[in-house]
Amino acid sequence: MTAGVPDDAGYGAALADVLDVTARHAAHADETASFPVEALDAMRRTGLLGLAVPAAYGGGGGGLAEIVDATLRLARVDMSVGLIFAMHCQQVVAVVRHADDDLAGRLLPVLGKGDRYLASVTTERGKGGHLLSSESAVERAAGTLRIDRDAPIVTGGGHADAFLITTLAPDADSPSQVSLVFAWRDQLTVETRGGWQPLGMRATESVPMRLVGRVPADQVIGSPGQFREIVSTTFGPFAHIGWAAAWLGAATGALSRVLGHIRGDGRAGFDPSSELLLTRVARIRARLDLVNALLWHTVGAVSGAAPVTEPSIQLLVNSLKVHASEQCFAAVDELMELVGLRHGYLRGSPLWVERVFRDLRSASLNYGNDRLLLVNGALALRDRQVRLA
Amino acid sequence: MDNGFPGLLKPFLKYAGTQPINPEASLNDLGLDSMRAIELLFAIEDTYGVSMPDELLTDATFATAGSLWATIEALRGPR
Repeated sequence: MTAGVPDDAGYGAALADVLDVTARHAAHADETASFPVEALDAMRRTGLLGLAVPAAYGGGGGGLAEIVDATLRLARVDMSVGLIFAMHCQQVVAVVRHADDDLAGRLLPVLGKGDRYLASVTTERGKGGHLLSSESAVERAAGTLRIDRDAPIVTGGGHADAFLITTLAPDADSPSQVSLVFAWRDQLTVETRGGWQPLGMRATESVPMRLVGRVPADQVIGSPGQFREIVSTTFGPFAHIGWAAAWLGAATGALSRVLGHIRGDGRAGFDPSSELLLTRVARIRARLDLVNALLWHTVGAVSGAAPVTEPSIQLLVNSLKVHASEQCFAAVDELMELVGLRHGYLRGSPLWVERVFRDLRSASLNYGNDRLLLVNGALALRDRQVRLA
Repeated sequence: MDNGFPGLLKPFLKYAGTQPINPEASLNDLGLDSMRAIELLFAIEDTYGVSMPDELLTDATFATAGSLWATIEALRGPR
């Protein structure tokens, strides 16, 4: 086992249960582009959704390494479920780290039960996924914030028990004074405003929504207008690391199924002395090893003593996202080439390489690589000595 | 801050509007992002004839107009 990969003694049984349910329903969720409700129910029933809540609040006490480990294993079976889990944990960690004591004291004992699913509402029509500005005003009145938020993409929004919503701070005088507001579903009127018919990651059911309602003004996570701090220390790193884990898990699962086929039922169709087969398998495996090494190195850097806002660590986290999205997709593309039309490209193949290929095509677009590379270029220019994290 | 400094900053602050730029003004709130920060750095080095060491290119240096100016002053030394 790789150094840094956690012992799953605490959540192994829960995860096994969730994996079993996920496997049984993955094809249907993909076919119908519907949320994996059975997998979510299993995550609620086993308390896995509470993994990132400190044990003092009744949660699983897991850190980033445990979240990554669970995401890798879920995504082997269904990348959408891996993404849903990782993004939920990102929301939970934002509450754990950034909510003030009062709010944390109210929310964490509930979240620690592990049966509540949190969705993130950060996209806006005018700005897409750009996190550090908002055009969505809130109104402050009598100790409450009135939210009226139009969001083009909310992953699993139809099934969430609560939402973390970015809005302008109540007294904002610039679009970059963004707050993060926690709202329970029953504090809002939630309306789904369109469908979800994507190429891949179909089970994330990332629908457009409008959320309207009043929440107590003390449900702001972190300082009002200072969402930037949450993004740079928590949201950004957890997003990129969590996504990379989901992508690597998905590609790893696909390779594993194909190798199982070549060594098993497909034996007659694949010649293990074929140099083409062996070099292709070696290249695919090497891509995954590289991403895995980068992933765990980044987990270590982000969990270490140096501030996550150090340019070297920011560069590393962003590079992980770009590299994992490119290499995991490239690995599955080569895998498709290896197994060919019938076992790779056809939808009915029990190896479902095709589904993973479609799912991974979204990786470069999910917070666009081009945008991240611009940021990294500017950061790299600030470090003439090239100090690598 | 010298008289020219707010004028130098302004093109890099997309939300600055027509308000005067105070030393306390948060540059992030006024719209400075990491890409604009590097352009601003080049403009500062050209205008004030200083070279900012990598160690000073931190969020704290770019936090406010005043913090950035203080860094420039320190680099220019006594005059």
